Amino acid sequence: MPEQSTLEKKKKNPTWLWNLTPLEKNNLTWLRNLTPLFGMIIIIAVFAFLTEGNIILPKNLKLMLSQAYVMMIASMGVFFIMTAGGLDFSQGSILGLSSIIFCWVSKTNILLAILAAIVTGAAMGAINGLFHVKFKIASFIVTICTMYLFRGLCEYFTTNGPIAASIQVVALNLTWLKLLLTGVVLLGGFLAFRYTRLGADIRAIGAGETAARYSGSRPDLTKFLIYVAAGAITGFASFINVVKVGAITGTAGSQLETQIMLALVLGGLPVSGGAKARFSNIVVGTITYCVLAVSLPMVLPDSATQQLVRGITFLIVVALTIDRKSLRVIK
Amino acid sequence: MGEVVLRSENINKHFGITHAVQNVSLSFEKGEIHGLIGENGSGKSTYCNMLCGIYSISSGRFLLDGQELKVKTQVDANRSGVSIIVQETGTLSGLTVAENIFLGNESRFMHGGIKNTAAMNKEAQDLLDKYGFGRIKAPVMIDHYNFEDRKLVEIVKATYFNPKVVVVDETTTALNQSGREALFQHMNRIRNEGNTVIFISHNLSEVIEHTDRISILRDGELIDTVKSSEVTTDDLKRLMVGRELGGRYYRTDFGEPISDEVVLTVENVTVPGEIEDVSIQLHRGEILGIGGLSECGMHEVGKAIFGASYGRKGKVTLSNGTAVNSIPKAIKHSIAYASKDRDNEAVIIADSIRDNICLPSLNDLSTGKILKHSKLDKFAQENADRISVKMTGISQYVSNLSGGNKQKVVLARWLGKNSDILVLDSPTRGIDVKVKADIYALMGELKKQGKSIIMISEEIPELLGMADRILVMKDGKVNGEYVRNPKLGEEDLIAKMI
Repeated sequence: MPEQSTLEKKKKNPTWLWNLTPLEKNNLTWLRNLTPLFGMIIIIAVFAFLTEGNIILPKNLKLMLSQAYVMMIASMGVFFIMTAGGLDFSQGSILGLSSIIFCWVSKTNILLAILAAIVTGAAMGAINGLFHVKFKIASFIVTICTMYLFRGLCEYFTTNGPIAASIQVVALNLTWLKLLLTGVVLLGGFLAFRYTRLGADIRAIGAGETAARYSGSRPDLTKFLIYVAAGAITGFASFINVVKVGAITGTAGSQLETQIMLALVLGGLPVSGGAKARFSNIVVGTITYCVLAVSLPMVLPDSATQQLVRGITFLIVVALTIDRKSLRVIK
Repeated sequence: MGEVVLRSENINKHFGITHAVQNVSLSFEKGEIHGLIGENGSGKSTYCNMLCGIYSISSGRFLLDGQELKVKTQVDANRSGVSIIVQETGTLSGLTVAENIFLGNESRFMHGGIKNTAAMNKEAQDLLDKYGFGRIKAPVMIDHYNFEDRKLVEIVKATYFNPKVVVVDETTTALNQSGREALFQHMNRIRNEGNTVIFISHNLSEVIEHTDRISILRDGELIDTVKSSEVTTDDLKRLMVGRELGGRYYRTDFGEPISDEVVLTVENVTVPGEIEDVSIQLHRGEILGIGGLSECGMHEVGKAIFGASYGRKGKVTLSNGTAVNSIPKAIKHSIAYASKDRDNEAVIIADSIRDNICLPSLNDLSTGKILKHSKLDKFAQENADRISVKMTGISQYVSNLSGGNKQKVVLARWLGKNSDILVLDSPTRGIDVKVKADIYALMGELKKQGKSIIMISEEIPELLGMADRILVMKDGKVNGEYVRNPKLGEEDLIAKMI
């Protein structure tokens, strides 16, 4: 009797995560979706323990938040790009250049300055999108090139020293305002991603561009638009960036691109994008990243050791949480 | 009876649910050219790929000189004395001609870890000269030669080491007359040296002319082995395709009139390098079959109608005059398309059944640009149920489904879209009999509802069994048209294909 023998087998081999059938694994996707959240909680718990509760003091939470605004907003654009199967290394440079434009225009009018920063970011995103879509160059090559291009412009404009914004801007450095703006941007992105055709198209394109095209999506147009949108979103983030720092140097925003992509992967976004992307990846990832970034200096005062431990921690967290199955479909 | 060099005993191959090769037992003699023929998907390439270590054997064994052949790779097979010239290009770009010839066998030119390129090039050039391909130069990158010259390099690569058995798989289609003659000359040389050639080709007269014996496969089974001198091409055609027609899952009605109402007009459509000047009229409630050999351009016709071709010239219009020139427009105007390349073009395999079913209908499902998830779930569930997709739930990923169930997902999405014109390319490719029957039943039902179907198929029985009208294509052009008729035979269609 075969049924009985499989029953006996079940008894002998208790069900562990590693001896599940593909079907059973499929039914456990909810667990996989929660892994990054557990990762975040564990990291917070570990560092709360190591710093003897220091990181949850209000002043440190505030420090973490101040880092999180810009990153969370800017990573939303990159989230769309990565979900559609691309990468973007130019966001840090886009933030730098938009911030410079904002500072200049802020001396005339702050609202106009915000608009100018958004338009500047969108224009830079359009350059990325154009080269990627129209000239069919892989997105990471295009954006590595534009990263240098835009950074070069930043350094050129700041040759005579940092550029300061209008004095009035500093007065806007209010926690509630920054929180509100970040919340509004994220909510808008969330609604677009989850409740409109755009989000469905982006996920389908990341999961299988050709098949998405045959299903009526417009991959080229959609990809171009999300590069423009990502630029515009980062342009808006430059406003909050300037509010925070007051004056812009040539290196403003450098490293932001790698921080964003690390945060998104920490948050559970598959590197190849696709249907498994969840909007929560942005929030969970950014928080995890900021906790690490703020806590490490408290535990390890030496900056060289910090870099080392940061690298190792990221490797461990990514190795534990990354979805290897979806990596195999990278084209 | 000559001396047997290679024998297969009950060879089987399963691809998931498909039984591609079934209990094939065959003997090949020393010093013979043995033809292997059959329709597309009859298992001849699969059989040879198992012999050469490209595919693993599901069960059964090959015996070479009485010894069981246990090969895992093509290089293993070469060492045991079996080589293959494959259907597609078997050379690797980025390597020189000499490196391609000695691929996997470089160690003979290695001395203390250093490759003696000069010696390798010299030996390769000597071989090329000996074969009469002296104009091909050994040290040159393979990429500088055209497809045909690369095939010649492959001939050298597969035969220079005097293998006991050489498989030539559909190679002649890539060669022009002089290349073909060179190939046949070398096949004869191999035979005269006492070795064996297994020759796979669709060109039946070529097979009869150049082989000693011919084995016929159909649906993965060995039908017969005949002496080439005793058969005609007509005999072979009958053996290849001669299964009983009017089987129970095809339509049984004949002579029912088709509506005069034309729903889709294709006018002088050309896609460079694929199809030329194709004109088609599709009627309401009609199943229009398009058949031909796999490279005849019929698959591109489907893409052209759906607005998916690159560089299409000519017009595709609906009855109300709307021109269809892009995929979104085709979908909007009720045209559905199920590609032959199911995994890449028809479904997004790395996505859920729900998303796959909903994607083409998202515009209809949104209320004022907003998507409601409960509505999407319901839509996906209903349409998956309509055609009974076997699944754990609509959130299951398509990658976990069998070929037949993937195709059901494809059909479910277009049922949901309620398209009036369905272009189905190879709708039953790689699908088992039961799901096949479901798909045919569905097609009959859609026809009754007044929907029109274009069925592009490489399977002749399917065309004869299901279509109201059949267009046969050859070399990118429509080469013949037949109206549904019980007297219509497979031979009639084949005559227009070849």
